[in-house]
Amino acid sequence: MNNMQWTPIGSEPLPPPLPPTRVDFTGNRPEFRKLVTKGAVLELVTFGFYRFWLVTDIRRHLWTHTAIDGDAAEYTGRAKELLVGFLFALAILVPIYLAYFLVGIEFERWQGFASAPLFLAFYAFGQFAIFRARRYRLTRTVWRGVRFWMDGSGWAYSLRAMLWGLLVFLTLGLALPWREAALERYKMQHTHYGDLSGDFEGDGWTFFKRGWWLWLLSPVALVIFPLAPFFYAEFKAREWRWWLDGIRIGGVSLSSELPHDAFYGLYWKVIGWWTLLSMIFAAYLGGATMLVVRLTGLPAEQVFGPENGAGSIPMLVAMVVGYFAVALAVNIVMRVYLQRDLWAKVLETVEVYNVAAAADVRGSGQLASALGEGFADGLDVAGF
Amino acid sequence: MSDVSIEAPAQSAKPTIFFDGVSSRRRQVMLTFSDALEIAEDGKALARWAYADIRRADGPAGVLRLACTTGSPLARLEIRDAALAADVTARCLHLDDHQTTRRGIAKIVGWSVAAAVSIVCVVLFGVPLAADRLAPLVPKPVERRIGDAAEVQMKTIFGRSVCEDPAGKAAFIKLVNRLRDAAGLDDDSMTAGVLPTSVPNAFALPGGKVFVLKGLLDKAESPDELAGILAHELGHLKHYDNMRGLIYNGGTSFLIGLLFGDVTGSSAVIFASRSVVEASYSREAETAADTFAIEIMHKLGRSPKPAAELMFRITGKEGGSTLTTILASHPLTEDRLARMTREDRPASGPPLLTDKEWQSLKLVCGSGKV
Repeated sequence: MNNMQWTPIGSEPLPPPLPPTRVDFTGNRPEFRKLVTKGAVLELVTFGFYRFWLVTDIRRHLWTHTAIDGDAAEYTGRAKELLVGFLFALAILVPIYLAYFLVGIEFERWQGFASAPLFLAFYAFGQFAIFRARRYRLTRTVWRGVRFWMDGSGWAYSLRAMLWGLLVFLTLGLALPWREAALERYKMQHTHYGDLSGDFEGDGWTFFKRGWWLWLLSPVALVIFPLAPFFYAEFKAREWRWWLDGIRIGGVSLSSELPHDAFYGLYWKVIGWWTLLSMIFAAYLGGATMLVVRLTGLPAEQVFGPENGAGSIPMLVAMVVGYFAVALAVNIVMRVYLQRDLWAKVLETVEVYNVAAAADVRGSGQLASALGEGFADGLDVAGF
Repeated sequence: MSDVSIEAPAQSAKPTIFFDGVSSRRRQVMLTFSDALEIAEDGKALARWAYADIRRADGPAGVLRLACTTGSPLARLEIRDAALAADVTARCLHLDDHQTTRRGIAKIVGWSVAAAVSIVCVVLFGVPLAADRLAPLVPKPVERRIGDAAEVQMKTIFGRSVCEDPAGKAAFIKLVNRLRDAAGLDDDSMTAGVLPTSVPNAFALPGGKVFVLKGLLDKAESPDELAGILAHELGHLKHYDNMRGLIYNGGTSFLIGLLFGDVTGSSAVIFASRSVVEASYSREAETAADTFAIEIMHKLGRSPKPAAELMFRITGKEGGSTLTTILASHPLTEDRLARMTREDRPASGPPLLTDKEWQSLKLVCGSGKV
C-alpha cells in the first residue's frame, strides 16, 4: 500500500468509496411532548426533585430513537445516579461555599468588593463540571452493546478552559473559535468507543472564517433587538456544523450539511410562545387584580402595598400560581423545540463515513460517576 | 427442534440481532425456547438467558430489545419480528420489573414533598432558633472582622471617610456615649461616625459600629430626634441582629437553594421566597429595636416621639425613593409614630446635647453640600 503514495493525487486507482451512512431519528413528537408535559407537572409538585427522572427520560427517548447504520443507541443512565451525584456534589460544594464566604470576608476587610474575583473559583468548578458531566453521559451511551467512555482529567480541562477563557476575554471574543477547537480537541481525544479513540479535526480558523462577520455585527443586534435571534441561530448552526464535521472516532468520521438558517424557525417559535405566554400571564394578573379589588373593595395600589399584609395575600397566591403555570409551559416549550426538534434537525443532516470501522470493536472503559452532573446542577452550568 | 422450526421463517423476514456486550459485532442469531432462552449463531451457542432474568431495554418502536441481569451487562438481543417478540414477552414474566411504575413515581413525589416540608419547617422554625442561639455565641473577634468587611463596603458605597470636624465629632461621641451607657453596651470596640452622603439613613454593623449618614443629620431638628434613631441602632447591636440576620439569611438562602437545586441561589423563585420569609423576620427585629429605643430614651428621661417624627418626615417627603428603602423597610410611619406617641412623656432628664454642641454636630461634615 505504501508504494501508492508515489502516484500523484487524483490519479490513484481508488476503490469506489462506500456511500456514507445516514443517522435516523425516529422519535415520535407527540410522545415526547407527553413525556415532557408529565415531567414538568411532576417537577412542579416535587419542588424540582423530579428533574433527575425527567432528564433521564428525555435522554432515554432521544438516544433510543437515534439509529446509526440501522442500530439504535441506548442511554443506560438512571435518575438515582443523578440524585446521588447531586447529593455528593452538595457535600463537596457546601464546605467550599462556606470557605468562600469566610475568605470573602477577609478580602472585603482589605478592600471593598475585593472578593468579586473569587467567582473565578466557581467558574473553574463549572468547567470541571462540564467535562465530568459529558463523561457521565458518554459512559451511559451504548451502541451495539459497546459503551463510549472518556479518560483525561476534569481539572486539566478546567485549567485549559480558564486560560482560553482569559484569552477570549482579552481579545473581546475573537479567540472564541480557537478556544472551542482546543477544548473540543481535549474532550474528543479523551473520548473512546470501545477500543477506538476519538479525535477532533475541526480547527479554530475554519470556524472563525464561518462566523467572524457575526462577531462584527453583534453590536448591531444590541441596537436592533429583533435581529438577535437571527444572529444567534446563525452562530449556533455554524457552530454545530463545524463541530460535527470535526468529529472522528477511530476511522469513522462525521460530516453535516446543516444549513446556516436551520434554527431560525426553532428560535422564533420559542420566542413566539414566550411572547404569547407572557401576554396570557399579564392578562391573568390584570384579571386577578380586578377580582381582588372587586372582592375586597380596596384600591388597587393598596392591594400591592407592603403595609396591607392581609389584603395582598390572595394577590400573592394568584401571582405565585400564575408564575408556576407560566414556568411550566415555558419549560415544555423549551424542551420540545430546543431539545427534541433541534436534535432531530441536526441529526437529519449528519452523514457517517466508514462506519464499517466500528463493526467489530472490543468493549472497554469503566463507568464514570454522576458527580459532574451533580456539580453542573448545583452550579447551574450547562455544557455539552 | 419444533421451536427452532417456528423461528426459521421469521428469521428470514426480519433478522434477530444479538450483541454480546463484549464486541460491537452484529450477530444474526436463532432463538431456541427450552427451559431458558438459547441464543445461537450458525448453530454455535452464544448465550443462555433464564427467562426470569430477562429485562426489557430501551428500544425504538418495532424492536423488542432485551437485556439479561445475569449475563454481560451490555449484551442486547433485538427482536424485530412481532410474533416472535410476543412469544418471548409471554415467557418472560419479569420483563418490566425494573421500570419506574406509578407507585415509584408516587414514592418520588411523596419523598420530595416530605423533603420540601422539612426544609420549609427548618426555614420557618429551625433557622430562626439557631440564629437566636448562635448569634450571641459568635466570638467578638469574628464579629469584628465581619464588621470591618462591611465597613469597608459601606465606605466604598457612601464615600470616602468619616466626617472629622473636631467640635462636631466631640458632640457626636458625647451623644453616642450617653446612649451607650444607658443601653449597657460594653464599649471595648465600639466606634461611631458620620458619613458624608445625602442619603438619610443610619445603620449598625457587627462588632459595634454605628454610622449616621449626613442626610439624616441634615433632616434632624433636635438632638432627641437623632438620639432616638441612634438608640434604635444600638438596639440592633444589643440584640445581635446583624449576626442573627447573617446566620438567618445565609441559612435560609442555602436551604431554599438546596430545595430548588441551586446552591448559589440565583433563580427568581429563590429570590421571591427568600424576601417574603426574611421581610417578616426583619420586621420582628425592627420592632424589638424600637422597644429598646423607647426604653433607653425613657431611661435618659427623654421622649422617643421626636425620632418617629423624624422618620415620618423622611419617608413622608421621600416615600418611594429607592435610597430610603432601608428605613422604609421598617414597620413604618403610622404604626411606629403611633407607638412612640403613646410612649411620649414630658422630658424629665437633662437635654442630651447643649444647643452649641448640637449646632457643631450639624456642621460635622463642614457646611458645604455633599
